[in-house]
Amino acid sequence: MGKRATIVLSSSEDDGDNNDKDFASKPILSYFKKPKSRAASAPRTNTKASKKARISSSRSHPGKNVNPFDEMKAFCEDFGEGFTGFKVSAGHRKDNNKESWIDKYKPRSIMDLSVHKKKVEEVKLWLEERINIKKDNHSNHNHVLVITGQPGVGKSATIQAIASHLGATVYEWNTPTPTIWQEHIHTTNAGLRYMSKLDEFENFVEKIRKYGLIPSSPTTKTQKKPFVILIDDLPVTNGKISFARLQRCLNLLVKSVCIPTVILITDYGRTDTADYTSRCYEELQTSLQNAGACKVAFNPITVNAISKMLFRICREEKLKIKSQQIDSIAKASGGDIRNAITSLQYFNLKSDSKGISDNSNDLDDVAFGRDETLSLFHALGKFLHNKRETENMITITSDTGSVSLKEEFTRLPMKMDVPEKVLGQAHGQARPIADFLHENVLDFVDEEAIDDAWVVSSYLSDADMLLASLTGARSRNYEAENLVQSTAASVAVRGVMFGNRHPLSSRWHAIRRPSLWQVEQSQWRNKKEMVGGRCGVSLSDLSVIATEWKPVSKWLGGSMGGGDMVDDLHLDHSEEICDDVDEIEDW
Amino acid sequence: MMGPFPSGPLKWLQEQPSSRLLRSFPASSSLLYTQHKRTPSPSPSKMLWVDKYRPKSLDKVLVHEDVAQNLKKLVTEQDCPHLLFYGPPGSGKKTLIMALLRQMFGAGAEKVKVENKNWKVDAGSRTIDLELTTLSSTHHVELNPSDAGFQDRYIVQEIIKEMAKNRPIDTKGKKGFKVLVLNEVDKLSREAQHSLRRTMEKYSASCRLILCCDSSSKVTEAVRSRCLNVRVSAPKEDQIVKVLEFIGKKEGLQLPPGFAARIAEKSGRSLRRAILSFETCRVQQYPFTNNQVISPMDWEEYVTEIAADIMKEQSPKRLFQVRGKLYELLVNCIPPEVILKRLLHELLKKLDSELKHEVCHWAAYYEHRMRLGQKAIFHIEAFVAKFMSIYKGFLIATFG
Repeated sequence: MGKRATIVLSSSEDDGDNNDKDFASKPILSYFKKPKSRAASAPRTNTKASKKARISSSRSHPGKNVNPFDEMKAFCEDFGEGFTGFKVSAGHRKDNNKESWIDKYKPRSIMDLSVHKKKVEEVKLWLEERINIKKDNHSNHNHVLVITGQPGVGKSATIQAIASHLGATVYEWNTPTPTIWQEHIHTTNAGLRYMSKLDEFENFVEKIRKYGLIPSSPTTKTQKKPFVILIDDLPVTNGKISFARLQRCLNLLVKSVCIPTVILITDYGRTDTADYTSRCYEELQTSLQNAGACKVAFNPITVNAISKMLFRICREEKLKIKSQQIDSIAKASGGDIRNAITSLQYFNLKSDSKGISDNSNDLDDVAFGRDETLSLFHALGKFLHNKRETENMITITSDTGSVSLKEEFTRLPMKMDVPEKVLGQAHGQARPIADFLHENVLDFVDEEAIDDAWVVSSYLSDADMLLASLTGARSRNYEAENLVQSTAASVAVRGVMFGNRHPLSSRWHAIRRPSLWQVEQSQWRNKKEMVGGRCGVSLSDLSVIATEWKPVSKWLGGSMGGGDMVDDLHLDHSEEICDDVDEIEDW
Repeated sequence: MMGPFPSGPLKWLQEQPSSRLLRSFPASSSLLYTQHKRTPSPSPSKMLWVDKYRPKSLDKVLVHEDVAQNLKKLVTEQDCPHLLFYGPPGSGKKTLIMALLRQMFGAGAEKVKVENKNWKVDAGSRTIDLELTTLSSTHHVELNPSDAGFQDRYIVQEIIKEMAKNRPIDTKGKKGFKVLVLNEVDKLSREAQHSLRRTMEKYSASCRLILCCDSSSKVTEAVRSRCLNVRVSAPKEDQIVKVLEFIGKKEGLQLPPGFAARIAEKSGRSLRRAILSFETCRVQQYPFTNNQVISPMDWEEYVTEIAADIMKEQSPKRLFQVRGKLYELLVNCIPPEVILKRLLHELLKKLDSELKHEVCHWAAYYEHRMRLGQKAIFHIEAFVAKFMSIYKGFLIATFG
């Protein structure tokens, strides 16, 4: 560790100080991580929190303002370093009340974690193994662990807690601050070169692959502690090429790194299958696993665990919040403990200002928690089952409604939120929604009601047309696109609900994945095959090939399709066939 | 008949409305198929009759004889304008084009190679990679720009530009231009047609376009007015019969009387179709018998089956089954328009005449939407549902 030990720094000191000492070429912003003595200091296990801490610490020392220039430089290489036996005092905020509870109640030990015990154990075992192995021989194992999970389930917190339990130091790759283009333009004359975040990440990975983090010099062996590298926030990739780069880079990392490395991948929008980035991440996970990385998936934290945690906070903060309220906060958080704690703090604030005596019974006016999300399937189920109120309700509503519709156009009121709202909650995109509805709706239509089936499919055809007009419009008008999207979605959904006048009594239906997608794929493949195989005297239209050449060539015995034999295989084959024909003729 | 062509084709085109052009190429058609000796082809036994008996030159080739003769005069006596061939499938457009090319460039035009070309198109901020099959000789390039899907406009521009770059040197006896044959122009997007229009004028010195499509109504007015329009009408049934008899004679087959006529009738006036099914019959059963079944294409049989399904039961469940069968057809790349058309045809066969009008209306309605829309199945299915609904209502009204 030699040199490094001399540059002990706390986060609250000027970041620029150590710029030149380490990695001479690259300025480094290091800040403090103190897993051991965390109990006494402001805990900073969470990466998100530590990012905040950096900002807040520089604020707390206004005299030593880091100028924007330095801050820009600091993006280049940015991962935390940890040191032991050094007491962090600067991290303490004077005013404890103002501190965010997320920082304050950070899990300090494994016991504090709300994550499921088994998962914690799994990760712990893995880390222990790696750390112990490292001493004997270097590279017979893979040293990469991939942890996946929704935001706020405590992925990084778990690592930090376990690391501190094992006495290991965590080094982090922190995402560099994104560059705003205008800002960049503005600062280019200051001599700053733009560096893509992906490049930076690649550099970082290269470095830890080749050199390891710390040169293991024999002098410091006694104090040497195991290290863990934590990669949170993979760089955002856009497009196939950059994604491939990221993938390659990570695969290399998995294969060659000798230090235990933990990669955190956040599952965004688990519900939205059509989202490109989420698919990318899935692909990334599998490719990492193929390369030999271990994977642990964290589930959302259970409501019980969250409310237990909230109760604990309430106890320590001496809050008077009803258990019922805590429960609902826990429920609303959707397994995101960070969010739950923030909500609690906010909620507390509110009741403070109001006066605690105030009736905080009705939780509805308190806006906390995340917006409720529905899975796509849940939403589809709602639309397809099309639950309506019973008969007598309609009289009430029809009284209030000034326009009276003809009987065939009236429907009972829906037993759910407005379809558009449900769509919003499900993050549904119009195209998949329409496809899913199309695939499944016929199961929900009464056997006798072919008229309904027509109305439904007619509306779906409308929706399809709207969606097509979207792709036809070359001018990229995002606003219009959004509008058309949502219009199409609501036409599809409302069409399905309106059209199906006689929904079947609800029974269990499996919602199928649209077979249309598969059909399109194989159609595309066949098409490609036909186009590729099309040769001969003239290029024929695809439709002609499909409707005339192919069926005829089937009769005539296979490969005579295009009329021209280009490759030899085909030649031989067709000769055989010709022979056969001749034989038949002889008979 | 072709007399009044001044040398500058474009000038001439401007002077005369395009409707007159049609008259110069009369719709009356005669055979594409020559009485000449069979041209030697590399492996005649392996070729389909359609290719084997395809006439090779405008002279030998008679097809739509007068059209062919006019074309010949055009290219020998004058500078060739851009051409637009249009007419129903199986009417001989391609054959004419190929023979025309041969007329222009000699046998060199027949030495073609098939290539899968990659194009790198620079579209401002990004480059687009496109792959397309082309068929080219030293004198011409043929391709289906619509294969490129929505990126067709890049293809059109890029290729024409490239051809203009490697413009052949105008030596004696050789044409100083290349010919670009574009198939399925009617399937080009509007944007592509626009870019076609511009490039057509810009590079007309170095390259001639021969466009080929089924229906000229889907080609923009601007493109049409820049071309000499050549209408190739569907051959009449007796003409088809003549071709079939000619092929029969060449192959040394015994044709029972009326047999060729039956094939011609089934072919829907498509010569290609007729020859293909003639050959199929030959493979299925020879000597021919008078009552031999001329089997329809397999997908057509399948559509018939679907129609029967629809007539038998009208329920969402049946609709779902029909959807599955339609998928099957779509997977095999049968164009949805063709499916819908055929389906309507089959349904109408069995339908009470008082319903026909309404059903046709809805078929047209959904066919239109299909063109506007993206996923054909939505619209075909809506048509089937509508038909079921109409038909069921009718059944209930009639039979209670």
